[in-house]
Amino acid sequence: MNTLIEANALSKDFGDFRAVDNISFQVEAGEIFGLLGPNGAGKTTTLRMLSGLLKPSEGYAEIAGFSMAKQTMDAKKSLGFLTGNMDLYRRLNPQELLNYFGDLYETPAKELHERVEFLIDAFGITPFVDRYCEKLSTGQKQRVSIARTLVHDPKVVILDEPTTGLDIMSSEFILQFIKKMAKEEQKTLIFSTHNLAEVERLCDRIAVIHQGKMMYLGDVQGLKTQTKQETLNQAFFHLVKEN
Amino acid sequence: MIYLIILMPFFLYPIMLSVMGNIQVSQQEKMSAQKIALWMSPQSEGSPVFQLLSKDSSLNIELRDFEAEDLKGTEKTMGIIVAATYQQQLDAGLSTPVQLLWDQSQDILSFRSRSIKAQLDILNKQYTFDRLAQKELTPEFIQPFVVQSVDLSPQEGGNHLLTSMIPIMIFFFIVLGCFQIAIDITAGEKERNTLQTLYTSTATTKEIIGGKFFALVSVGLTSATMNLTSLLVAMRLQAYILGKADAGTMALSLSPIAIIWVIVLVFLATLFIGAFIMAIVLLANTYKEAQSYNAPVMMVILMPAMMAFMPGLELNMDTVFIPMLNTTLALISLLKGSFDLTMLLIVTVANILYGGLALYLASFTFSNENVITGEKVKLKDLFSK
Repeated sequence: MNTLIEANALSKDFGDFRAVDNISFQVEAGEIFGLLGPNGAGKTTTLRMLSGLLKPSEGYAEIAGFSMAKQTMDAKKSLGFLTGNMDLYRRLNPQELLNYFGDLYETPAKELHERVEFLIDAFGITPFVDRYCEKLSTGQKQRVSIARTLVHDPKVVILDEPTTGLDIMSSEFILQFIKKMAKEEQKTLIFSTHNLAEVERLCDRIAVIHQGKMMYLGDVQGLKTQTKQETLNQAFFHLVKEN
Repeated sequence: MIYLIILMPFFLYPIMLSVMGNIQVSQQEKMSAQKIALWMSPQSEGSPVFQLLSKDSSLNIELRDFEAEDLKGTEKTMGIIVAATYQQQLDAGLSTPVQLLWDQSQDILSFRSRSIKAQLDILNKQYTFDRLAQKELTPEFIQPFVVQSVDLSPQEGGNHLLTSMIPIMIFFFIVLGCFQIAIDITAGEKERNTLQTLYTSTATTKEIIGGKFFALVSVGLTSATMNLTSLLVAMRLQAYILGKADAGTMALSLSPIAIIWVIVLVFLATLFIGAFIMAIVLLANTYKEAQSYNAPVMMVILMPAMMAFMPGLELNMDTVFIPMLNTTLALISLLKGSFDLTMLLIVTVANILYGGLALYLASFTFSNENVITGEKVKLKDLFSK
């Protein structure tokens, strides 16, 4: 077992309000881990603590065996992170943006060039590679954003609602890419979404967070069994309503 | 934006001032050539005043009886009333009144009145010297004391007004250059949701702040240099066009040591101004909010500097620790060609400390989680645990 993501008793307080309370889970290499919960449950805060954007009030996070608190640079080098609050530099085109972030991660020049070429091809960015990012459609921007998270070839990828606002074609493309990253490239993924059909399709295991607390940790079938529901939607609703 | 702050002013000032200068010269030439009507009292015919002004081809002299009221409402018309007894008064060695009447609200009349007065002054001097000669006296008889002013200020330096204005102009252009950039790279990035992405990369907070600060200072310094150079060149150009190419007016000569000190002080002032602006605009949550800080920030930075215009204020132990004022006074003394090395050293150290403090405040704000995640920044949260 090769644990690449560890959240250990993560808690986060904002003043008197405890947004995340004692969340713990581990994710293995090649696993797609789904993080579910209603709006305001604490998913994004948890993911931000994993990425180092926020300091946990209690607990710790490790990425690829590196402590985010103590070995921050090594942890960040191993992580690609994307949330809905991240946008692209409007006055750069996708190629310039990927090169810029590749440089930020100190990727060697030759390797960076090959990697950027690969990502442009893999994500179908070629038709708009010279266009400024501000001129791209929502789907095109999301492809470039995800390519940006992978430019330094991280072992761990965290995607917070990557298909929100996308059409079916773009969503499908991204879901297939996520599966490929995990199963063929053995990357470890945390995938947060409100779309339970995507969860059922992709996720090896899931965690359900509600009001900052972990409600469930396990696989999809286990949740259905525990809540005695036939569909994931019903199971999720039942679990959240009960608590 | 860079083009607007740096390149455009560089070309704009010379063009603007040379156009203005050319217009001014052309207007003056027009006003000089334009004929105006000059009413003179009938008794002035044959008088020295009449004979003098008759030679001026731009005056249409008309001998007529008139009162001051008659001139009101007329256009391009002046009046001269010479006393009927002028000849008797002149022969008796007395003064004779010459009344010059004109509407000061008409620019052309004010302009031409100066020329007429100058001609009458020359006539006055001629008569005065003739009278003295009749008494076998020299012109020195009526001027017992000839006062001469000798300027003992150093050869270096420049004219007082110029040396006082230049530091203020430098700081103004630094603020101008820094402010827009500061907004774009802080509040602007927060608004555009690109700041978080930087923080998830392997760039450290110090590197992010350092990079942004370096960009800010570079633009501020470049803006100040380009704008000031352009303005000085434009002012010389305008002086040349206006025919006032008096080297003393626009000249500024400095020793190599003074130049080095000027560069050091301007650089340190830019660091302080840049850090201060960055610390303030970081508190803004949107581009628009940050822009509203422009006026107060400019006042806070420029008002201490403008205190340097107060008479009697100089760089001493009372003023050397006041930010911006100390640098302004130091620059003025350097530009005038005289400076106190001890004071300059104190100003330098003080500015380094102030700049460092401002940068520390900026980095402190930058590290705040609300800034990182693009949430609303509250002042009280900056200092709470």
